Amino acid sequence: MDALLVKLTAVVYLGVAVSYFFHLFRGASASRLPTALLLGGFLIHSIALTSLFLREGFATVAVMGDALLFNSWLMVGIYLLIQLKYPLAVLGAIVAPLAFLMTFAAFAVGGGAGEIPPGLQTFWLPLHVTLAFLGNAMFALAFGVSVIYLLQERHLKHKKLTILMKRFPSLESLDGLNYRLLMWGFPLMTLGILTGSLWAGIHWGDYWSWDPRQISSGLAWLLYGALLHGRITAGLRGKKAALLTMVGFCVVLGYFLWGDSIFPSRHGGRFE
Amino acid sequence: MQKQIVIVGLNHRSAPIEVRESVAFENVYVREALVHLRDYPSIDEGVILSTCNRVEVIAAAGDVRSAFDDINGFLAQQKAQRHAEPLDDHVYTYEGAEAVRHLFRVAASLDSMVIGEPQILGQLKQYYDAAQQAGTVGAVLHRLFHRSFSVAKRVRSETGIGSGAVSVSSIAVDLAKRIFDRFDDKTVMLIGAGKIGDLMARHLQSHGVKNLMVTNRTFERAVSLAEKIHGNPIRFEDFPRYLKMADLVIGCAGAPEILIAAATVEKILRERKQKAMFFIDIGDRRNFDAKINNLDNVYLYNIDDLKSVAEENLQERASEAEKAESIVLEEAQTFVRWLGSLEQVPTITALRQRFEEIRRREIEKSLGGSLKDLSAEQRAAVQDMTTAMVNKMLHGPISQLRKSSPEELEDPTLYVAALKKLFDLEDK
Repeated sequence: MDALLVKLTAVVYLGVAVSYFFHLFRGASASRLPTALLLGGFLIHSIALTSLFLREGFATVAVMGDALLFNSWLMVGIYLLIQLKYPLAVLGAIVAPLAFLMTFAAFAVGGGAGEIPPGLQTFWLPLHVTLAFLGNAMFALAFGVSVIYLLQERHLKHKKLTILMKRFPSLESLDGLNYRLLMWGFPLMTLGILTGSLWAGIHWGDYWSWDPRQISSGLAWLLYGALLHGRITAGLRGKKAALLTMVGFCVVLGYFLWGDSIFPSRHGGRFE
Repeated sequence: MQKQIVIVGLNHRSAPIEVRESVAFENVYVREALVHLRDYPSIDEGVILSTCNRVEVIAAAGDVRSAFDDINGFLAQQKAQRHAEPLDDHVYTYEGAEAVRHLFRVAASLDSMVIGEPQILGQLKQYYDAAQQAGTVGAVLHRLFHRSFSVAKRVRSETGIGSGAVSVSSIAVDLAKRIFDRFDDKTVMLIGAGKIGDLMARHLQSHGVKNLMVTNRTFERAVSLAEKIHGNPIRFEDFPRYLKMADLVIGCAGAPEILIAAATVEKILRERKQKAMFFIDIGDRRNFDAKINNLDNVYLYNIDDLKSVAEENLQERASEAEKAESIVLEEAQTFVRWLGSLEQVPTITALRQRFEEIRRREIEKSLGGSLKDLSAEQRAAVQDMTTAMVNKMLHGPISQLRKSSPEELEDPTLYVAALKKLFDLEDK
C-alpha cells in the first residue's frame, strides 16, 4: 500500500516536472496546471507519509528511503508555501525533478539502516530530525534558485537572450530569494545540529563524536555560515554566492545519500 | 446598390518617403479633406489614414470602378499642391474581401515597417474617430473598423507578434528588468546629454526610476537636460565620485576615449558591496571598457549588442506573423460574409417575388384559357402544384446562397450580384 503510494507520488512528480518544462519551453501561458498537479502529488505524498508513520512510527526516518520520503515532502511543502507569495514556475521546474528523484530513490534505495532502539525514541528524535530536514529542504530550494540564477546570469553575460530567459525572474529577486532561504535554512540547520548534540550528550554522554554525518553537516554549516557572513559584511552575492550555495547543498546531499552506507555510524544504524 | 469596401493607398513599400510625404494629410486638415472626399458621388463612406509610413483612403462605395478613379483623383489633387509627379506607380488598390483583409493586416501591425509595432492601432483609432466626427462613417465602415480593432487585439493576445522589444531603448529596459527586480530604488547615471540618452532616461522613468544623475562635458547642457527630465546635474570632472551610487550607467557622450575603466568599476563594486550594475554604452564610440563585462555582478551592453538583440526579436516576430495571417484571413472571411448577408435577404425576397409573379401570371392565363373548364378542386390542385414547383426550383440556389461559406477568401457578394443581374432584380 505505502510502496504503491510512494511510486504513485514519484510518477506524479515526474509528470509535474514534464509539465513545468513544457510550460517553460513551449510558453504555455498559465502555470496553474503544473502547480495544481504538484499539489495533487503532495497530497498523495502526505497520505503515504502519514500511513508510513502510523504503521512504523516516526523512528522509521532512520531508514534511508523513508528519510528521503520525509525530506522531499518538506521540500515540496515549503515550495508550495513560497509559491503562494512568489509565483516562480522556474523554481518548480527544479523542485519537481528533485522531488521525483528523491521519491524515486525512496523506494529504489529502500531500507538500509537498522531500527532505532526504543531507548532512543524520545521527543528528541522528531525534534532533531524535523529541524535538520527542514534545514535541508531550505537548502534544496536555495540550490534550485541558485541554478536558475546561474543560468540567467550566463545568458546575460554572453548576451544570448532566449524566450526561456523571459520566464526567469530578475537576478535581483533570485539573489534575494536565495538569501532569504539561507536565512531560514541556516538557523534550522544550527538548531538541528544543537538538538542532535544535546540528545547525544544526554543519551551517550558525549556531545560530539566525530560521526561522519556530524562532520559533513559541520562542514556545510561552516560553509553556509561563511557565506552568510560574507554576504552581510562584504557583499558576497550573485554568482559566487550561488555557486557556494550549490556546493553546500552537494555536501549535505552527498553525505545524506551515500555517507551512511560507507561509514556506518550513529546516524547510519550503529546506535550502541 | 451593394456597398463594397475599397482601399487606395501607398505605404513604406510601395512609395519612397518623398512621395508619401507629398500626399500626407496634416492633422488639422483631415476633417476638411474627409468632407471633400465624401463630396465625390461614388463615395458613400470614407476614412483617411495618414501616418509616417502610409497614406490610405478606406471607403465604402457602390460603384467600385468610379470610386477608385475618384480616390485617385482625390489623392492626386492633394499631391498637386506640393509637386507634380504621377502617383500611379506608387499606389495600390484593394476591393471587397481583399480590402477587408488589408485593413485587418494594417490594424494587426502585419503591414507595418516594424512588424508588431503597437502604434498603428492607436493611429487607426484616431483617424477613425476623426472621420466619425466629420460624419463620413456609416454602418459599413463603422462595423469594419470596430472589427479591425478587435482583430488586432486578438492577434496580439494569441500570437507573440508584439513580444520581444525591437527598439534599442526598450531592449535596454527589458534587459535591466532581468537584472533588477524594481526600479524605484535604483539610481541612473546618464553620461552625455545626447538625444538617445534622453530618450532612454525617459523610458526608464516610465518604468519607475526616480533618481537620475546627468553629466556632460558642457555643464550647462547637463543642467538643461536635468531640468527637463527632473534629474540632478553633475559636473563632468565629478562624475567618477558619484558613480558608486549608480545602478544603471548610460553612456552616450560620444567621447573618443574610454571614460570608465574596468579597474575603476572593480573598485566601485567593493564600495557598493557588490551590488549589481548595468552599463549601457549606447553612443557610436565605446566609452566604457569592454572588460567591465568580465566582472562579477556587472553587465555591459553596447549599441551593437542591443542591435543584435533587436535583430533576433524581429526574426521571432516574423515567424509569429504567420499565425497572425491566418487569424486575419479567418476574420476577413467572417466580415465579408456579414457584408454579403446585408444584401442577401432583400435579394432572396426579390427572387421569390419575381418567380411568384411569373407563376401567377401564367396560371391566370391558363385558367382563363385552355383550363377554364376545371372544377374548383382541380384549380386549387393546379395552384398547389405550381407553387410547389417554384419552391422546389428555388430551394437549391437559395439555401446555397444562405450557406455561402466559401473555403477561401471568396466574395459572397458576387453571387448576390450575379442573381440580381440574371433575374433582373435591380432595386426599383
